[in-house]
Amino acid sequence: MEELILKLKKEIIEVLNLEDVKPEDIDSNAPLFGAEGLGLDSIDALELIVLMEKNYGIKLQDPNQGKEIFKSINVMADYISKNRTK
Amino acid sequence: MKIVITGAGIISAIGVGKAETLVSLREQRSGIRPLCYLKTDHHEFPVGEVQLSNDEMCAMLGIDPSKQPTTRTALMGMVALKEALEQAQLIDSKTQRLKDSETFPLISGTTVGGMDKSELYYLDFLENDSRNEYISTHDCGACTEMIADHFGRFSMLSTLSTACSSAANAVILGTELLRSGQVECVVVGGSECITKFHLNGFASLMILDKEPCRPFDESRAGLNLGEGAAWLVLETEEYARRRNATPIARLAGYGNACDAFHQTATSADGEGPYLAMKKALANAGIKPDQVDYINAHGTGTGNNDISESTAIRRLFGEQVPPMSSTKAFTGHTTSASGTIEAVICLLAMQHSFLPVNLRFNNAGDCLTPVHKTTNKPLRYVLSNAFGFGGNDSALVFGTAANSSDIANQLSSNKVYLLSAAQISAQEPLCNDWKDNPIPLTEPLTRSREADYKQFIPPLEARRMGRILKRAIATARTATAQAGIDTPEAIITGTGLGCIENTEIFLDALCRQGEDQMMPTRFMQSTHNTISSIVAINLKAHGYNATYAHNTVSFQSALLDAMLQLRRGAICNALVCAHDEMTPSYHALLCKGGYLKGKHATECAVSMMLSTKDNGHALCEVADMRILYRPTEAEKQRARKELGDVSYFGSTEPIFGTSYTAPSLDLYAAANTIKDKPVAVEYSDDKYYTLILLRPCSVS
Repeated sequence: MEELILKLKKEIIEVLNLEDVKPEDIDSNAPLFGAEGLGLDSIDALELIVLMEKNYGIKLQDPNQGKEIFKSINVMADYISKNRTK
Repeated sequence: MKIVITGAGIISAIGVGKAETLVSLREQRSGIRPLCYLKTDHHEFPVGEVQLSNDEMCAMLGIDPSKQPTTRTALMGMVALKEALEQAQLIDSKTQRLKDSETFPLISGTTVGGMDKSELYYLDFLENDSRNEYISTHDCGACTEMIADHFGRFSMLSTLSTACSSAANAVILGTELLRSGQVECVVVGGSECITKFHLNGFASLMILDKEPCRPFDESRAGLNLGEGAAWLVLETEEYARRRNATPIARLAGYGNACDAFHQTATSADGEGPYLAMKKALANAGIKPDQVDYINAHGTGTGNNDISESTAIRRLFGEQVPPMSSTKAFTGHTTSASGTIEAVICLLAMQHSFLPVNLRFNNAGDCLTPVHKTTNKPLRYVLSNAFGFGGNDSALVFGTAANSSDIANQLSSNKVYLLSAAQISAQEPLCNDWKDNPIPLTEPLTRSREADYKQFIPPLEARRMGRILKRAIATARTATAQAGIDTPEAIITGTGLGCIENTEIFLDALCRQGEDQMMPTRFMQSTHNTISSIVAINLKAHGYNATYAHNTVSFQSALLDAMLQLRRGAICNALVCAHDEMTPSYHALLCKGGYLKGKHATECAVSMMLSTKDNGHALCEVADMRILYRPTEAEKQRARKELGDVSYFGSTEPIFGTSYTAPSLDLYAAANTIKDKPVAVEYSDDKYYTLILLRPCSVS
């Protein structure tokens, strides 16, 4: 799981172009969206949906599903480990 | 002054021409069908396609496609324009050409331009010479030229590219030209075909419904893309009377505002839509209770319909007039929707009925639209068109018999250039180019980056392309120099828009196929991203527009600002010119023979214009002209009208060439003007433009 979490953090930094952010800067329990966490928005959620499909073979049909799955790195990693097809 | 509409033409999924469109509207025949003409993998999305192939349209127009490159956007534009010009009796019935004695401007709106052919031939462009003639049909201005040239010579052409409000903004510029007294007649409209490019882009934003769309319904799940074109012939009532043209309706008013909130979403309180509608009613001189029908933007996305409902409730209170979205008939015809829905409004007024909002069952949080066939006389109707980037516009139409006038303030305020900032091949944001210019040695020199970090928070900067960072850095510098925090208008000219992101998206589409496309790239591919991202950064909710008409993109933006400033509609405006160039696009331009050995560069200029001299103005911008394919005599007349002036030489040796390079000529002329008036002249094989600058000390 730790390995997946680190991989995921690196992928998110890359795909969302989070300049000056390092994996260790991201609290795995902190919210990804909104001012209290990383401050991501709806476009980032769409990019994460693409990332889930490309890297883990998980296809989300409804952007609203993302709200639950992208709550934090831990929630996301948990979902990926249970649903990944690659 | 009364502005009358004497011609209207339309083509969309519900018919070719007004007669077919009217039957579809009255008999509730939707044009949403499975994909048929566009070659794409995305057959899961129903669309509103025009039921004609390109070959069929060519046959209707007498065009031989093997002899002349055409695009679907241009062909649909021609079919609809023919109907409008015929109704207004502006073309010879035999030759189908404009009468020589009359010449007037044509203003179009499109965002897709020639993308249908670019996406088809992109790999050929890169790998062989088989489709080189289509390299130049990519940009929006080329599309407008093809449409216009089919009928003869128009005196001026320009193209608005503000995503889904493009055609509505073309109506606004056309009306401003009439109000200024410069012209008596103008043709305005827009055209847009469905492409794989934006079908995949909208799919990546997850806002396409796999079922026929249901605007304002609780179960709505997105929009269906549509396509089409529509045009209006606008003229002064006096001119129409003089030439015995019959008015079918009047253009009563218009409003344009910017939501300045987000690149692809509308704010929850619908600030931009609210301001646009409010301005439109004020401009028409009518009260909310005089509006008999609203043709809503109503795309069918969760976000638009609730935010538009909120904006309408804010403006109309408890007394919301009957409203509906006709996108359930046509699909979302994007850049053309402004005039397609305008023509639908005209048909509703002429035949006294309310167009139905198809497939509506439950309102949920939204307003309840008209969902039963209703006959009703309509005196004033309001038509909304909102675009990505919060480019929101609203038009008001009145019956021909209505007597109230559009305010004709023929005041001629002086316009001062308060400040100007550039980022180019030269040292950014400074005047080093005057004494120590960096020599241009390479065929392509890309701009140097400005230090943008002081202007843009990291979270926002991370997904901005270079062109957007330059746009904000120059805008912030120019506004700070002028001492103006929030400009009343932001108007940008760009030849190619955000070509870098467009190219990345197109490349992925052509090489990797239509899967897993990147939403961030797509949302930065529209030309109006530039003006709207500057508006978000400056929190500017005023007028916002983007022009994309090859070498006169910047001059069009300046003309728009000048018309509004002189009339007193606004007191200041930020006018910008931005273009970027990628190595691969540069290679294509070289291959097509368009650069003729010139040094290609990138351009970023922002300038603050104001009707008040703050004591530090660089100069006065006194007059300007944009001419399309002028005769030598017309050029001479334009020069003569400016009086005794000296002509400023081209800055091409210093700044190189780009679509918006004339902005750098103006920038340099304004920075070096002494005690004599100076004219900035631009000329190429199609366009001739003049901008007259006067030193501030000389009245």
